[in-house]
Amino acid sequence: MSAEHDELRQVVREFLTQRSPSHEVRRLMDAGESRDEQVWALLAGQLGLTGIAVPERFGGAGYGPVELGIVLEEMGGALLVAPYFATVAMAGQVLAASGDEAAMARWLPGIADGSLTATVAVAEDAGSWDLAGITASAQPASAQPAGDGWAVTGTKLFVVDGHTAGLLLVVANAPDGPGLFAVERGAAGLETARLDALDLTRALASVTLRATPAVRVAAGQDTADWLQPAFDLVLAALAAEQVGGAARCLDLAVSYAKVREQFGRPIGSFQAIKHKCANLLLEVECGRSAVYHASEALAGGEPDAPLAANLAYAYCSRAFTDAAKECIQIHGGIGYTWEHDAHLYLRRAKSSELLFGPPARSRVRLAELAGI
Amino acid sequence: MTLEREAAATVAEPDDAFRARLREFLTARHPGRPPENPRERLPWTKAWLATLFDHGFAGPSWPREFGGMELSFAHQVIYHEEVARARVPGPLGTGLNIAAPTIIKYGRQEQKERWLAPMLRGDVIWVQGYSEPEAGSDLPSLRTTARREGDEYVVNGQKVWTSHAGDGDIIFALVRTGTRESRQKGITYLIIDAHAPGVQVRPLRDLTGGHLFAEIFFDDVRVPAANRVGEENDGWRLARTSLGHERAAGALNQAAMYRRVLTELEELARERGQLADAVTRDRFTDLEMRVRIIRYNAERTISGILARGDAGAASSVSRLLITAFEQDIHEFAVDLLGPAGLLGKSAPQAVQRSRWLTGFLRTRASTIGAGTREIQLNTVAEQVLGLPHDPGMPPR
Repeated sequence: MSAEHDELRQVVREFLTQRSPSHEVRRLMDAGESRDEQVWALLAGQLGLTGIAVPERFGGAGYGPVELGIVLEEMGGALLVAPYFATVAMAGQVLAASGDEAAMARWLPGIADGSLTATVAVAEDAGSWDLAGITASAQPASAQPAGDGWAVTGTKLFVVDGHTAGLLLVVANAPDGPGLFAVERGAAGLETARLDALDLTRALASVTLRATPAVRVAAGQDTADWLQPAFDLVLAALAAEQVGGAARCLDLAVSYAKVREQFGRPIGSFQAIKHKCANLLLEVECGRSAVYHASEALAGGEPDAPLAANLAYAYCSRAFTDAAKECIQIHGGIGYTWEHDAHLYLRRAKSSELLFGPPARSRVRLAELAGI
Repeated sequence: MTLEREAAATVAEPDDAFRARLREFLTARHPGRPPENPRERLPWTKAWLATLFDHGFAGPSWPREFGGMELSFAHQVIYHEEVARARVPGPLGTGLNIAAPTIIKYGRQEQKERWLAPMLRGDVIWVQGYSEPEAGSDLPSLRTTARREGDEYVVNGQKVWTSHAGDGDIIFALVRTGTRESRQKGITYLIIDAHAPGVQVRPLRDLTGGHLFAEIFFDDVRVPAANRVGEENDGWRLARTSLGHERAAGALNQAAMYRRVLTELEELARERGQLADAVTRDRFTDLEMRVRIIRYNAERTISGILARGDAGAASSVSRLLITAFEQDIHEFAVDLLGPAGLLGKSAPQAVQRSRWLTGFLRTRASTIGAGTREIQLNTVAEQVLGLPHDPGMPPR
């Protein structure tokens, strides 16, 4: 991490302290809104954060996983309510990894300047991101002579911010195997709806497509070859957000333990509380090490990057959920109230942990990558 | 610091050149495999340490004035990498890592000249006298007394958990010079001749059945006052001294060592056809994550020191991670072996000379020695997280 990285972190942290304090998070949450328009405009325009990982020739800043990770770590701490993760970390990184010039030229500039929100839709009923389990299908639209028009049919679930995204990148089976298809909001036969789900600060949606017109992304490439590494970028980004959330849970717990008095002394002076907090610090710091290693390995195209990304996600999934649960426990009764933010972190933590499938599944993938 | 040395430090040797020079030396002078006969091992190790010293390859973090190399932190990291790669014996006793930094920082010139070079050369073996039967985690309550009589101190009491005590020539000890209640304000740092009249070393059999540790008894042992480091009653402050970040310089090697151990266990499980089992694979996956994070933490700590001179929070918690890993991997290995895991090394059916069972027993000490896990968690909570001190405990 360089001095520029420290500066980026500081700028994002200050912005979020000002613009996404707890009461703002709760206002958006209660209203069921996906973002505050002014905050989105500032973070896209003034701070340029939506373009941080978009190549310069498509209007972005041309940075990569390291810088995006820093931004997400801070956003995870603040529980920012915005379609940033879906748009930038998921769709933006997947598009940029596709190598499809036409698709990148068409959509990346909108992602970079914040005018377009987007997401990636893979999982179906089974909740799995394994390409092998996909049942949605794509057929060439016969009306299109050039052959770049497709019609996609199927139902996607657990799509992050899928009910508001302007662009949906949908995985579906073409006659030649699984492929990625771009569907724009407003397309015929597209229906999206927010799901009633645990995380109140990040929505999951169902996406139904009925012969919905779509554009194939990275046609002619073996999807498994390029999409899996792109998913690894998404995992590392989510891990960064998770470790930011875990660190904030620890901060909340420590701050409370310093001032809350029982038996005539601060509860943080009791060993039982101290040990909980120190054990959480261990998890947070190990999580940070895993995240920083993964983003640097991805940025440098290191051979161990896929393993590092999966490891960071598996470790930080646990760390964040542990931290969120302990944060509630250390707060005692007040931690069990709706008014306290502790449950918002628990909701985000568990939701992030299960987003790509059962945790046992991600550990199996990790074992495969490690050659165990 | 002289002008000459500053100039030498500015025109630093390039990393690659230093590595090549060190590797060449370690290859040319390699002492070979350790002798089979345990009684030949001590002189063999001493001969190697003398070779290192005589050619200027000892004491990477020590000042040149006392025979050290005075390396930059980056070169210290390289030094530890190359020494681990060469698989040559390490230092004898605990003086080099624990006592030397205190003496270098707080010793008088005469003391440094008298003690440091012979310690580094392996001519004189230094062992620690801190813990006592009644002073473990609560070390400031120690009771071994040193009574001043003219130019001497008269030492009485008992120390315990001293490693290498059987080979020790000098004991660096914390002794009570203040009142019994004075705690850390009445402790003095004293260097005691292990061969002096009244010093008795008694081997202590630990739970592994081995004799790595000893108890030391002091019965009216007369120690010259010139052997006191720092002022009387000021020893506590001096005891925990390190030279810059020297301890972090070997962190990558430690990580590489655990990596090797886990790989060896994976190979064993593969040979025995146990990796097909999903539960076993998941346990391995967990250890795999942890062993890699041990390395990531080491890399992060080292790059933090190189970039900004700050080891950061990862270094404060890495020992918690490592000690739990050591214990878990050995217990898991024993479990994997089933009843065969119970066999000692003289049983003909023992797997890999019973290394995993030995490790399972030995690593009970990992979360006790050099501060129990519980005390360490308290320290992290108070010093890193800023949680309040327990009012029921004596002040730090």
